[in-house]
Amino acid sequence: MRRLPVYFLLDTSGSMYGEPIQALNNALSGMINTLRMDAQALDSLWISIVTFDREVKEIVPLTELAAFQLPEITCPQSGPTHTGRALEMLYQKAKTDIIKGSPTQKGDWKPLLFLFTDGKPNDLQLYREMIPQIKSLNFGAIICCAAGKLADDSLLKELTDTVIHLDNADSATLKQFFKWVSETIEQGNKSQGTGETIALPPPPSEINIVI
Amino acid sequence: MNEIKQYISELLTQNNVPIPKNRMKLFEEFAQDETNINTVKVIQENEKMIVDNWKIKSTIQDIIEKHLVIPNAMVGKFYEAKLDFVKLGMNDIIFSEFEDLLSYGLEYDNETETIKGDPTQSGDFKIKMKFRISGELEDSTLNEKQVSLIINANPKSLWKDLPSTQTEDNYWKADNAQDFQPLGNKHLVVASKRGRSHANVGSFRDDDFAFKNFPETGWNVVCVADGAGSATLARQGSKIACDGIIDYFTENLNAASFSEFDSLIQEHNAGTGEDIQKKLNLFVYNKLGRAAFNVHQKLEDFALKTETNLKDFHSTLIFVLFKKYEFGYAILSFGVGDCPIGLLNKDLTEIKLMNWLDVGEYGGGTRFITMPEIFSSDKFGTRFGFKLVEDFSYLMLMTDGIYDPKFVVEANLEKIEKWQEFLEDLGGNNEENIKVEFKAENLEVANQLSAWMDFWSPGNHDDRTLAVIF
Repeated sequence: MRRLPVYFLLDTSGSMYGEPIQALNNALSGMINTLRMDAQALDSLWISIVTFDREVKEIVPLTELAAFQLPEITCPQSGPTHTGRALEMLYQKAKTDIIKGSPTQKGDWKPLLFLFTDGKPNDLQLYREMIPQIKSLNFGAIICCAAGKLADDSLLKELTDTVIHLDNADSATLKQFFKWVSETIEQGNKSQGTGETIALPPPPSEINIVI
Repeated sequence: MNEIKQYISELLTQNNVPIPKNRMKLFEEFAQDETNINTVKVIQENEKMIVDNWKIKSTIQDIIEKHLVIPNAMVGKFYEAKLDFVKLGMNDIIFSEFEDLLSYGLEYDNETETIKGDPTQSGDFKIKMKFRISGELEDSTLNEKQVSLIINANPKSLWKDLPSTQTEDNYWKADNAQDFQPLGNKHLVVASKRGRSHANVGSFRDDDFAFKNFPETGWNVVCVADGAGSATLARQGSKIACDGIIDYFTENLNAASFSEFDSLIQEHNAGTGEDIQKKLNLFVYNKLGRAAFNVHQKLEDFALKTETNLKDFHSTLIFVLFKKYEFGYAILSFGVGDCPIGLLNKDLTEIKLMNWLDVGEYGGGTRFITMPEIFSSDKFGTRFGFKLVEDFSYLMLMTDGIYDPKFVVEANLEKIEKWQEFLEDLGGNNEENIKVEFKAENLEVANQLSAWMDFWSPGNHDDRTLAVIF
């Protein structure tokens, strides 16, 4: 059976403390519940969650949706945003997780990556070093979500063409965003030309795609 | 007695009442007084009780705060989960029960610490676990812990079957199509079905097929195409591809243009003539290559005419031409994409795969007849197949909707035992016991094939098309 691996990289740095992390938890749980009711997703979706602040943690290793349990995501009251280190861990995990097709092995669908951040990388050098490596994994789509005024769209643009800017990280906005994420995930398991990337569904009006 | 003496001595010191050296004798007597001894014992017992009670409270709190992971259940699938309290670091639990499990179709056995049953409803539930730990009184009130229990819906029940509305779309096609016809001196049965992934969202079947017999020359053409799931007008792309091949050969397959092949075959069988194999290959390359390129151009024209993008019509395409000669059959093929063409010999001991598949490192990545680069690629010449056989049992063309669940990987397409299994499956060795009888006199064969095609395979919900020449 073909798997659709989806990675979530979530910023849990100090600035997320309080309401934003609450809103993120609610939105994620809403998204998971939506996906659970999607026949296609229940059959093929595998999810991994990595959080990053001062530390980078794989809080859920790549797990099939049917067996998936979302833990409460917490964050420290203060601390830096180690986006580069998060990409580094993602690269290592994805390289071993993802099954490539061969004459004797069914390949996964192209994996998807969602990166959610409300700040900018404090480890900028490592962040930039990791970009070509992440790109070499040939994701079906890399989608970065920058929430709030402090998130740096232009740095995220170096990682992907698809940067979504949310003006704030309140519950309603995040809910909308993750609803769109689940729609995007549902696009992930379709046949396409070699080398082509997946077509993203139109975002809801609350969401700005940074061009 | 020493212990009592020491206890009292420490108590006095703690309270800043030191014992002067000259009163030691008096202290000895004091410490041996029975009332004092008993009082100390009571104090020590009470202290121990306080310590034990605190330990119990703290352990209970640990258990309440610890994340208890119960594996997810699924509606309609028997569930059995043993709560290994020792492994979970909750080994102090001596009794446990769950509230209201029965309303989810489950029950809990305290003896075996197992939840089991047939889950009846799906959702993310918070259930109450009540427990007692060692050290607590037999009749003490049970402690409570919230535990999360996820019961997934049965994926089978989630698939919707939404109609693809006919009036709203220029390129609508029927969700199911099937046919059974004599084809030359063989028969063709074919069925094509909209996949569950399309039915689930009310979208269209992207697969297509077409076939034709040319009585004048004795040739037969069969095509199968699979529109790309990611392309918006793929259903029309696969239709243009199949119809295009038939149209092309209707115009170009005639006695004049194909007689050369007949004479090459004659020379080949007689062992006369020079470079016959080469000439035959060149013929196949020219005739089928032109047909394929013609289809590509038709798609290009159509996209231009309708002001759409060529890639919106992405579709794979496989087709075969076959003809009966005195010695047997000539079978010619072309393929682009991930749909296999298999030729099974008469006694089912050999499989010849007529084409190779365009598959990438990731699932779903393939090539399409709409891609101009396939014609300029140096691999273009390898997309053709040519075979002369005395007879064959089956010649099959299928889309990945059949290939993925039934053969899984490319390597299996080369294995005769996999094809034998596939034939047994078609012959009724399947969960639903649906049997397809490939017999010329079986007028139900198309209905049977179509019914067989509803097979359930987790994760494989693409359109399915299978054409069988027998």
